Amino acid sequence: MLELAVQMLRFRKGAFVATFAALAAGVMILMTCALLVESGLRYQGTPQWYAGAVAIVADGELTVPGPELFGETESTTAPLPEGGRVPESLVATLAAVPGVAAAVGDHSIAVTAPASPGTPVTGHGWGSAVLAPYRMIAGGPPRADREIAVDARLAAGGKLRPGDDVAVIVGGAERKFRVSGVVGAAAPRATVFFTDAQAARLDPNPGSFAAIGVLAEPGADRAAVIAAVRAAAGEARTYVDGRRGLVGQPEAVAARALTVQAGSAFGGYAAMIIIFVVAGTVGLSVRHRRRDLALLRAVAATPGQVRRLILGEVGLLSLLAAAVGVPAGLAATAWTRDQLVTRGFVPDTFVLRGGVLSALAVTVAVAVVALGAAWIAALRTSRIRPTEALGEAAVERALGGQVRIVSGLVCLGGAASLTGLTGATGGTTALGAATGMLYLFVLAVALLAPWINRAAARLLAPVLRTVWGSSGYLAAANLRANARGMVAVLTALVLSVGFGGAVWFLQDNLQRQVTVQHHEGTLAQQALVGSAGLPAAATARARKIPGVVAATGVRRTSVIVPNRLEAQAVPAQGIDPVGADQTLDLGVRAGSLADLRVSTVAVSTTQADAAGWKLGDDARLWLGDGTPVTLRIVALYDRGWGFGDVTLDTETLVGHTATGLDDHVLIRTAPGADAGPGLADLANAYPMSAVVGADRLSGELAGDLAVSSWLNKMLIAVLVGYAVLAAANTLVMAALARTRELALLRLVGVTRGQVKRMVQAEQAGLLGVALAIGSAVAAVTLSSVVHAVAGVRIPYVPALGAATIVGGTIALALVATMLPIGRVLRTPPVEGIGIRE
Amino acid sequence: MSPSAEIAVSVERVSRSYGGDQPVVALAGVDAAFRRGTATAVMGPSGSGKSTLLHCAAGLDRPSSGRVRIGATDLSALSEKALTELRRTRVGFVFQAFNLIGALTVEQNILLPSRLSGHRPDRAWLAEVVERVGLGDRLRHRPAELSGGQQQRVAIARALATRPEVIFCDEPTGALDTQTAAEVLSLLRSVVDDTGQTVVMVTHDPVAASYADRVLVLADGRIVHDMPQPGAEAIAEQLARLGRRQTVATREG
Ligand SMILES: Nc1ncnc2c1ncn2[C@@H]1O[C@H](COP(=O)(O)OP(=O)(O)OP(=O)(O)O)[C@@H](O)[C@H]1O
Ligand SMILES: [Mg+2]
Repeated sequence: MLELAVQMLRFRKGAFVATFAALAAGVMILMTCALLVESGLRYQGTPQWYAGAVAIVADGELTVPGPELFGETESTTAPLPEGGRVPESLVATLAAVPGVAAAVGDHSIAVTAPASPGTPVTGHGWGSAVLAPYRMIAGGPPRADREIAVDARLAAGGKLRPGDDVAVIVGGAERKFRVSGVVGAAAPRATVFFTDAQAARLDPNPGSFAAIGVLAEPGADRAAVIAAVRAAAGEARTYVDGRRGLVGQPEAVAARALTVQAGSAFGGYAAMIIIFVVAGTVGLSVRHRRRDLALLRAVAATPGQVRRLILGEVGLLSLLAAAVGVPAGLAATAWTRDQLVTRGFVPDTFVLRGGVLSALAVTVAVAVVALGAAWIAALRTSRIRPTEALGEAAVERALGGQVRIVSGLVCLGGAASLTGLTGATGGTTALGAATGMLYLFVLAVALLAPWINRAAARLLAPVLRTVWGSSGYLAAANLRANARGMVAVLTALVLSVGFGGAVWFLQDNLQRQVTVQHHEGTLAQQALVGSAGLPAAATARARKIPGVVAATGVRRTSVIVPNRLEAQAVPAQGIDPVGADQTLDLGVRAGSLADLRVSTVAVSTTQADAAGWKLGDDARLWLGDGTPVTLRIVALYDRGWGFGDVTLDTETLVGHTATGLDDHVLIRTAPGADAGPGLADLANAYPMSAVVGADRLSGELAGDLAVSSWLNKMLIAVLVGYAVLAAANTLVMAALARTRELALLRLVGVTRGQVKRMVQAEQAGLLGVALAIGSAVAAVTLSSVVHAVAGVRIPYVPALGAATIVGGTIALALVATMLPIGRVLRTPPVEGIGIRE
Repeated sequence: MSPSAEIAVSVERVSRSYGGDQPVVALAGVDAAFRRGTATAVMGPSGSGKSTLLHCAAGLDRPSSGRVRIGATDLSALSEKALTELRRTRVGFVFQAFNLIGALTVEQNILLPSRLSGHRPDRAWLAEVVERVGLGDRLRHRPAELSGGQQQRVAIARALATRPEVIFCDEPTGALDTQTAAEVLSLLRSVVDDTGQTVVMVTHDPVAASYADRVLVLADGRIVHDMPQPGAEAIAEQLARLGRRQTVATREG
């Protein structure tokens, strides 16, 4: 059978190229997603910084008991957005563990070095240098509070030598130090060392450490020490081996989360689309060869043999596709990784790892989908009796069974019921909801397509006749007779229009929501922005400037909320509530921001929906460092996208964020008052800060978003591209399969021009239907998801984008049909009639 | 030899109707037995049910009612797979049109049944069959490169290749010139005479029918004449009469 399959493949290259292209592109996309996930899971940051320690005790993650599912309590573990802290007292406990030579507390302090701006720097106490360990290259360790040691990277960037004076910004203020020495660079981030006492003083979270490194006594039993440390650490987590690299490296944790999340989410969406496309293409290719298969049956192939033949062909194609798709996927992932590094999503220590596992999983998955589709397509062909098959090869059969109609309607109902969804927060959830809904709609269209096609043919017949005359008459007849054959074409077109229209625009809508809400909700005209952070005093100082009506310090952070489905980190802000009503308008729906205190909180309406909170409820949530708090909800507001889903009093956050500093201060000035000089003084008082128009702040936000949504946009573009490829594929296949039919038409006296016009008329009919359904599906999906996440009824659709989708679909359909038809028409009809189907 | 062993194919009260909006009765209770080692021609006007009868008798189609036996095997009791295997080894079939797989060469098409059943083909017999249908020099060609008549001859060669007990042909000479038609018909005749195989063929050509031992004439799904070896002229006359009767019936109706 395999030999026969190979021969069939070789003979019908054209038809198989389409299936092959769909499979290979599918393998490539899935391979990229899988490899991102695999590399992310294997990525452990750079353990050099803690290479000297046998174990690191820290608190980098939070495990939250999740919802009860089927009687079992699930739990979710999330990385702590602000990094967790361990108490100072734990150092003594750990040092007392047998086999432990020393336990060293590590302060991790955000530092900015104006001498080499743009390089993120971390400050530590000299005591923790043994954890790496660090080697002195020149000079000596810091001995006085005014001394620091810098690493080679900073020394090179700022041309520093021992004895030089250097200014660094810590805690929002510039401080002068003398360089005591230079150490070799070991950590992925640039590093400076203070004395231990100075480090303790500068740490914004006194009384705690970012991590504690445990050094084992020489000759101690490593495993026993680790077990004892684990027991002694209590609540805190113990990291050993490669996992040490993730402690104290927020960018490594973020890189891991980003690649794993993006890879698996998009892998999921891609898988759905690939199932559609592969099933459609394989089904179509089997359908076009019914005559051959029927003959095989008649010439004495058992149903099983025909099935094996089809499965053999598709299996071979899957293997071929994997052979091309896997290397292509590797290349695509390498490119993606480079882009991610260049754009600053992941540190350049992030490398692609593994691949064998991903390649295997993807190959198997795609082969299973393809074989499943082939099996279903083969079932019909091989179950019917041989003469029936010969007969059917010429005439189209009935539209389809009751089961098909019923399942189609069920899908439609399911999709429609999803339009009422509420309380989806966050871009990923929204994207997931949109894709799920879209999938159901397209599935419904695929199932109901025969009836849709026939109804459309009836409806359009008069139009086609009037516009195209006798060619239009033939076109309408073809559309009706071929209602089943056009299923794959209609589905592919609806899929690309629907996907492009819904998911691409959804991303635009989410981005736009953020900027629009931020713009509309900012009442202040000016903002003091400090890239090295601003102390709370900046707000107080701004309020004293003549002409300033109100000033609000804003601290951006994330908190972890127990949403119904799982615990999630959501963006949050801490504000100084005094006079906030003059600078911020969060679109409060219920309650009042004036009641915001240390013990209360305001949340967005979508967040309240997602967690099941109401005004006056006690909300239990976790601050960015994992501290649980219970806060009474005093206000619900609409502009969660622009300002974060949770708004707290800055006081609540004190000691719970990594820097302990504000990001910006919103400043409202009285009309006509000239606060210019006062504001200029303010900016001068804080290093690396500037006063900008509030619009600039929204603009920068938009810029940041554009950068951070790059990966999403890229992956969506790939998926839309894949849907388009599939549509083109099916169109070409359908066109080429008509050789005999068109030859016959020309033999009975239809001119070449008439045939062309007939095909044009068919295309117009089909396209009209596909565009109408596709746009309807996209519109319903987009508006309900946008409504659910942003509360806006009418989604934003950029005119250019809409034109691209409509124009692109038309161009695609014309090119993918008229070119092959043109080729078919160039062969003399007598040859065409003899040509194998 | 017992009488049942002498019957190669028997068709008992076989009816076949096609459902749909307007049901069509293609066969209405046909009874016929085809003896081993004979050639039978099935004739009748277009649409009279000849192809349907052949399909049912060959196990390609299942009758709506009635029973078909090949040798002693009752086809109605067989599964689709068993039926296929029986066809593969005991039945050869030449269709009215679309006989060959475009992807395969002439030789591969001829060998297809043995390949599907996993049997080693009898090379000497094959060479003879190919020789007699006159395709020796076209074995490596694909069907699309052959004329209609040549394609028909490939199909006949394929039907003969496995030495089946019964060979069914649906208008085997429809597309052939007189000379080639005569060759093909004498080939069919010789397998009957030399090896005792059974041939049932549909034809419109009285000359072709005269190669048969017996002629069945179908009209409207019923056997209306059963003539043993009547000769070409008698056949032509019978057919002409049938045609007249139909015209009269149409006029009256
Ligand atoms: N799949 C089908 N569905 C409906 N009716 C059918 C089908 N196949 C055959 N028929 C009808 O059954 C009747 C007998 O058809 P059949 O093919 O046996 O005729 P025939 O005698 O072989 O004709 P011809 O000499 O033209 O080949 C015809 O009226 C035909 O229209
Ligand atoms: Mg016929």
